[in-house]
Amino acid sequence: MENTDVFLGLQDFLERMRQPSAADFVKSIKSFIVSFSNNAPDPERDSAAVQDFFARMEIDFRAHPLWAGCSEEELDSAGEGLEKYVMTKLFPRVFASLPDDVKLDEQLYEKMALVQQFIRPENLDIKPTFQNETSWLLAQKELQKINMYKAPRDKLVCILNCCKVINNLLMKASVASNENPPGADEFLPVLIYVTLKANPPQLHLNLLYIQRYRRQSRLVGEASYFFTNMLSVESFISNIDANAISMDESEYDKNMETARALLSGLSADLDGQYTQKGQFAGYGNRSESMETRHQHPNANKDPAAQSRSSETNSRGKKIPNEKDNSPFSKIPSLSDLENKGATILVTNDQANQVFREYPYLFANVGDLTISDVEDLLNNYKQLAFKYVCLSNGLGVTAPSSYNSHTEFHQHTETAKQQELSRAIEPNDETSNDTDTTDDALKKEPLIDDENLESRLSPDQEVSPEWYT
Amino acid sequence: MGCSASLPDRSSGRLAGPNSENGGASDAKNLRVKLVLLGDSGVGKSCIVLRFVRGQFDPTSKVTVGASFLSQTIALQDSTTVKFEIWDTAGQERYAALAPLYYRGAAVAVIVYDITSPDSFNKAQYWVKELQKHGSPDIVLALVGNKADLHEKREVPVQDGIEYAEKNGMFFIETSAKTADNINQLFEEIAKRLPRPAPSTTQQNP
Repeated sequence: MENTDVFLGLQDFLERMRQPSAADFVKSIKSFIVSFSNNAPDPERDSAAVQDFFARMEIDFRAHPLWAGCSEEELDSAGEGLEKYVMTKLFPRVFASLPDDVKLDEQLYEKMALVQQFIRPENLDIKPTFQNETSWLLAQKELQKINMYKAPRDKLVCILNCCKVINNLLMKASVASNENPPGADEFLPVLIYVTLKANPPQLHLNLLYIQRYRRQSRLVGEASYFFTNMLSVESFISNIDANAISMDESEYDKNMETARALLSGLSADLDGQYTQKGQFAGYGNRSESMETRHQHPNANKDPAAQSRSSETNSRGKKIPNEKDNSPFSKIPSLSDLENKGATILVTNDQANQVFREYPYLFANVGDLTISDVEDLLNNYKQLAFKYVCLSNGLGVTAPSSYNSHTEFHQHTETAKQQELSRAIEPNDETSNDTDTTDDALKKEPLIDDENLESRLSPDQEVSPEWYT
Repeated sequence: MGCSASLPDRSSGRLAGPNSENGGASDAKNLRVKLVLLGDSGVGKSCIVLRFVRGQFDPTSKVTVGASFLSQTIALQDSTTVKFEIWDTAGQERYAALAPLYYRGAAVAVIVYDITSPDSFNKAQYWVKELQKHGSPDIVLALVGNKADLHEKREVPVQDGIEYAEKNGMFFIETSAKTADNINQLFEEIAKRLPRPAPSTTQQNP
């Protein structure tokens, strides 16, 4: 619903910009964008200029015959279209433009990479009733999409969707357990946990970008509340110390130490790990065949977890045991550890024992009944999400033994992204040549909206009512 | 346990759903107000809001949004409407330092304690002091003693609440999210105390 609206908004906006009577608009948009290439980045000034430009254009739209007789909604989507167009063009100039911002961002990323390895829900006051690590993967996934988009609104929607998934899960858990309805006491800790585990790319930079370039009059109400929560999560995480997560000083230091050692170990012998993994031919193939059907990771938003059966529970319980067997006794289950875990598994006599907890792993087709389908589907989704998260968490494309549909998807995404930037960059390259760009604007779509559509639609089905 | 109550109370004058977000600004007749909720975890902040917004927490109703942000519009007798955008905050001690991010720009702060918990009353006083120091100067402060239905477990006398609020020039009320006692009164009273924008200034910012 929202996608359609927004896409229509952009398409409608581009359509109107092609009208002869829009020539003045096209000219001001063009010259506004060009004006950015002449100055060194200065976020404060740039943000003020962008906000001011949006405000002025919106007033002009309102008064222009192109929008005569249009509803508030139509004017609003014109504003959204403008924001998306302008910011997609300005993105390369204004995103991560200050070395200081980039440095802080890297620090935050590193902090999360370390803390995510030992943080437990209890450290953040998440009550057992509301703990649901498997389903939280869904929320993590929303957050990890943040770099797939360039428009501030689209990035913001990733955050809002993540919050919405968490709220849904909390609400279900509270109903199921007859607890009081969840408020911020429950929500914020889970958002912190989810963010830590997701370690979304360039979080600090993305938050700054949204704050500066999302049209301020639209960053209000609910959107503003959840965005503030994300800022507060960032602030909490940057300041995490032993005390903040009720941990013994020495235990915290030890955990950080171990986490650091593990991370550097991981990056040092990544190649080795992948070779190891190649030995898991069966595992690889299995995931391959699953990924083949994995077309729309979140097509079914009803968190697979609700009806999650004993597997989840036994899995949840299993993790600590496995952890105890591992050389890193303080480290809980976490994304970066998959490779390590695989190695450990090869050398572990009890691997069979571990896999026994997954009842379908050694099942034959004939063993299955129709009633297993729901269970299986849930398991499958869980696995698929986890796999994608793992790949992302490792910050690399999937290892070659997984050379499967996921990777194909990633390539498609990259290809699309390149296409999109190609559609935009030519204008950028020639942006000093006003004639050329003006012509391009009039004859061609401002940006390739086909591409924008294809980038928008598959990924945002969770956000049907955020802005309604 | 605050609000899994059995008493239905669906009569609060609601005009807008929790998601109606049109970006419209306040004017003299239709105020739009940011209200922040502060108080220890477990004092029933979210229950109060749900009571106010939905009348009752009904497990069978399709609630999907959560109670950390809700909005509700009420109509006053002078034919003005007030749309409250209610921002809940996490009450656990470890999150206290984050509060300024939430109360920045708030027109109202509702500080909640639990009448059965002296600790939560102390915490409430901490928040009052913090807001007096760092909140916006014309912020409307309300002190709320919740769980008033639990008479037999009361540990904070009504008088203590009244006196503290008086001393600090705040509005005080005891509520029960469980029985819905005084919930609507709380928000109506706040609405009445809001500073009204002068008509001339609002016309400059349509």
